[in-house]
Amino acid sequence: MPPELTKETEYYQCGTEPSTANKTGEWRFLTPEKGRKLSPCRQSCLLEGEIPLWLEAVKKDKWKEAWQIMSLYNPFPALTGHVCFHPCIENCNRGQLDQEIDIQAIERAIGEWRLANYERLVKLKEAKGRIAIVGSGPAGLSCAYYLNEAGYAVTVYERSKLIGGMLALGIPDYRLPRKVLQKELALLQEEGIKFVAGCTIGKDLKLTELYDQYLQVFVATGAWFSRKSAIPGEESRGVWNALDFLSMINSGQVPAATDPVVVIGGGNAAVDSARSALRMNGVNNVTLIYRRSKVEMPADPQEVEAAEREGVELIFNALPRKIEKKGEVIRAVLLDHCKTSLEGLTVDCSRAFRKNCGTVIMAIGQEADLSVFGNMEKPTTLFAGGDLISGPATVPEAIRSGRLAAAGIRAKIEGLPETEPVSAEENPVLFSELNLKSKINLELQQRQADPSAEAGRCLGCGSCTSCGICYIFCPDLAVDQIDGRYQLNPDYCKGCGICVKECPSQALIMKGGR
Amino acid sequence: MKIDELNRESEMIYSGHNACPGCGAALAVRYLTRALGTNLAVVLTASCWSIIAGMPPFTALKCPVLHCPFPSAGSVGSGLKRGLNAKGLQDTTVIVLAGDGGTFDIGLQSLSGAAQRNEDYIFVCYDNEAYMNTGMQSSSATPYGALTNTAPYPLFKEGQKKDIMQIMAAHGIPYAATATVAFPEDMEEKLKKAKEISGFRFIHILSPCPPGWGTESSDTIHLSRLAVATGFFPLYEVRNGVNWKMTVPTDEKRIPLNDYLSGQRRFKKMDEPRRQILQKEIDRDWESLMKRVNNSK
Ligand SMILES: Cc1cc2nc3c(=O)[nH]c(=O)nc-3n(C[C@H](O)[C@H](O)[C@H](O)COP(=O)(O)OP(=O)(O)OC[C@H]3O[C@@H](n4cnc5c(N)ncnc54)[C@H](O)[C@@H]3O)c2cc1C
Ligand SMILES: Cc1ncc(C[n+]2csc(CCOP(=O)(O)OP(=O)(O)O)c2C)c(N)n1
Ligand code: SF4
Ligand code: SF4
Ligand code: SF4
Ligand SMILES: [Mg+2]
Repeated sequence: MPPELTKETEYYQCGTEPSTANKTGEWRFLTPEKGRKLSPCRQSCLLEGEIPLWLEAVKKDKWKEAWQIMSLYNPFPALTGHVCFHPCIENCNRGQLDQEIDIQAIERAIGEWRLANYERLVKLKEAKGRIAIVGSGPAGLSCAYYLNEAGYAVTVYERSKLIGGMLALGIPDYRLPRKVLQKELALLQEEGIKFVAGCTIGKDLKLTELYDQYLQVFVATGAWFSRKSAIPGEESRGVWNALDFLSMINSGQVPAATDPVVVIGGGNAAVDSARSALRMNGVNNVTLIYRRSKVEMPADPQEVEAAEREGVELIFNALPRKIEKKGEVIRAVLLDHCKTSLEGLTVDCSRAFRKNCGTVIMAIGQEADLSVFGNMEKPTTLFAGGDLISGPATVPEAIRSGRLAAAGIRAKIEGLPETEPVSAEENPVLFSELNLKSKINLELQQRQADPSAEAGRCLGCGSCTSCGICYIFCPDLAVDQIDGRYQLNPDYCKGCGICVKECPSQALIMKGGR
Repeated sequence: MKIDELNRESEMIYSGHNACPGCGAALAVRYLTRALGTNLAVVLTASCWSIIAGMPPFTALKCPVLHCPFPSAGSVGSGLKRGLNAKGLQDTTVIVLAGDGGTFDIGLQSLSGAAQRNEDYIFVCYDNEAYMNTGMQSSSATPYGALTNTAPYPLFKEGQKKDIMQIMAAHGIPYAATATVAFPEDMEEKLKKAKEISGFRFIHILSPCPPGWGTESSDTIHLSRLAVATGFFPLYEVRNGVNWKMTVPTDEKRIPLNDYLSGQRRFKKMDEPRRQILQKEIDRDWESLMKRVNNSK
């Protein structure tokens, strides 16, 4: 308010009423609007998570909100926070300024917050119907989570005694602490999801029986069939396939292993087997043999690096010809040199060499095992996902597939529209498109240990970070600050477009008309 | 400037004012009044701001405003401050707000007089480089080579922009500074400093004017930033007329002036030789400024 001028004031009083009565927004013929564009992190996120939005919530210490945004795409941040290979970080625009945002560390922090601050969902008195899920890997769990949240009674059937699929049986506990997985599973049970462990569908129960008993079925049995190499000696005792080997270790058993151990393969299962073997009593020498070069390894480079650091010997460009035995005891693997070229793999059989060993672990790939379907006739609609459909992929992709299946199942039952996934064609906001010149107080900064401070480094490529620049540069004070968020005020915005141009994050777009 | 501390209450102007979309002058006054706090009185000369401030009964400023005749800003400011002092209202900060016309040209004599007497107030010139409110006539602040309505094509503004800062510094006033809208923190800091000093203080603010300069209304900040980066409008302060100091360092290697000129319709028809002349002028002024700055160290 203008100061009160009294009758005694000696000068002529002109304006005493605030000009806010003057709705200058009427002058406008273009209107700025928050238009979220795709960020590179989100574009590369395997489950399409709204990364900049939950980073923004963490920055403000709004953990509940962060969890809510997160869980729209990923109900298990505590799990992906450990095991996702985070392509989001590799593509983070901030890397071109100083250092990429540690997106995964913040994701994990949201997951930990959720595990510590779990609140039971408010549920309908009566479930909307019963759903069966076959396979308790990340795909099955994610589908179970979303259908349960939507009010269905969900039962998960699992062949193994352990729940969690590869999370429980494949991925070693030094990469995914089992306490985290147990807590996550306990919450799902708390939510009312039923688990039937040790029940193989296709054997103990037929899939058709599930179709009879349930409104809908989601099949996510993974890719558990281990490929064979067909080399002599592969069927010997002392030769393991990686999944059996890891499953035993992960269920607390001790697979027989005689030093030295050779692992054949270049994927994550190979690296995990090698690192797990090295942790066993009596094993001191582990060699991983891969037929291509290091850069061609499908395994996560950080995992390979960790294996090397721990002392796993790596041999590249070598192809096993034979597993040699003395009586029943494995002695060595006979290897040929080989190299990859455009034509494929060329093997040089003239210079074979021997790697002595007592145990061989074969990790040369997995495939889907279709025995779950038995000789069942095709149902009218079949919902299936995860590794079963995609072939060996990743945990986040399995979670995404479970989420989409849940939406599909709901759409089918309830006649709802299916959610639209982000289209991969949309171009993400480039680093060069960000208007960092306008970012007052921008300082070069390396990663921060505190999640909120680290989230505060996010440049919000294409979405609002509540930086306040639009507020600062608006000549008409037409940007309102409501609860720490900035919002354009249509009463006074004259449509000059300064905010659109200056927004460091390119979070605003100009729309025609008022 | 802490963004969390900003809110509508800390602002000294209201929405609904009459400035054109994207007006740099509106923004300049928004920043400077916020920096000075609530105990403020403003003297306005005839200019865009006399319109922006609103028609009675409306006002865009949250403080008393005194409109005054065009050439008299310097004297009216002196009178108002002395009057307030006489009434025991010493704490009120008085600012005079004038355009470049009201400062460089028609107001220069009363301004010079007030500065010479070291009157105790802040004189702010928001410089949009022409008489904008009456339709873009050239002033002595209009840069060489620009088109105005008194120098329409094929004419162009002759003579170089008057160096008002050297004129003011020559008065030996305690504080003088330049500022512009792309650097609100710098502007705010300077006004806060000015407020703490008594005697005559002069602030020269470059304020982009979209209709007058023929620019996109959205380019106001961008242009203001370019003006600094090219050295066209360096940001500095002068104490006691002798102590020159840069406040926002511009790279030794300034970007070419053309980057600043190219987005503006008033320079669109400027030919290459003239652009060279203007660039040389800027280079020479820059060097002489650097000398003054270095001599002050
Ligand atoms: C060793 C290893 C390490 C990996 N590490 C990572 C990693 O760090 N990060 C990452 O993102 N991805 C990793 N992956 C890949 C990831 O684990 C899988 O892509 C993911 O688990 C697939 O999920 P899913 O739900 O489709 O299948 P799975 O996780 O394989 O789950 C399928 C479940 O179905 C059960 N099942 C199978 N048949 C039946 C049946 N007939 N009846 C009932 N139940 C059945 C299985 O026992 C299993 O529990 C790794 C894979 C392996 C093998
Ligand atoms: C003595 C006098 N002469 C002329 C005018 C008309 N007039 C009003 S505003 C204005 C232009 C002022 O130019 P400037 O000081 O640069 O401010 P701007 O309008 O550009 O903001 C003029 C010439 C007047 N009001 N009084
Ligand atoms: S700066 Fe933020 S929004 Fe941009 S890519 Fe990185 S995490 Fe994503
Ligand atoms: S300028 Fe900042 S607060 Fe405004 S829309 Fe852009 S990111 Fe959000
Ligand atoms: S003419 Fe220029 S200075 Fe005057 S109100 Fe419009 S934009 Fe602002
Ligand atoms: Mg002017």
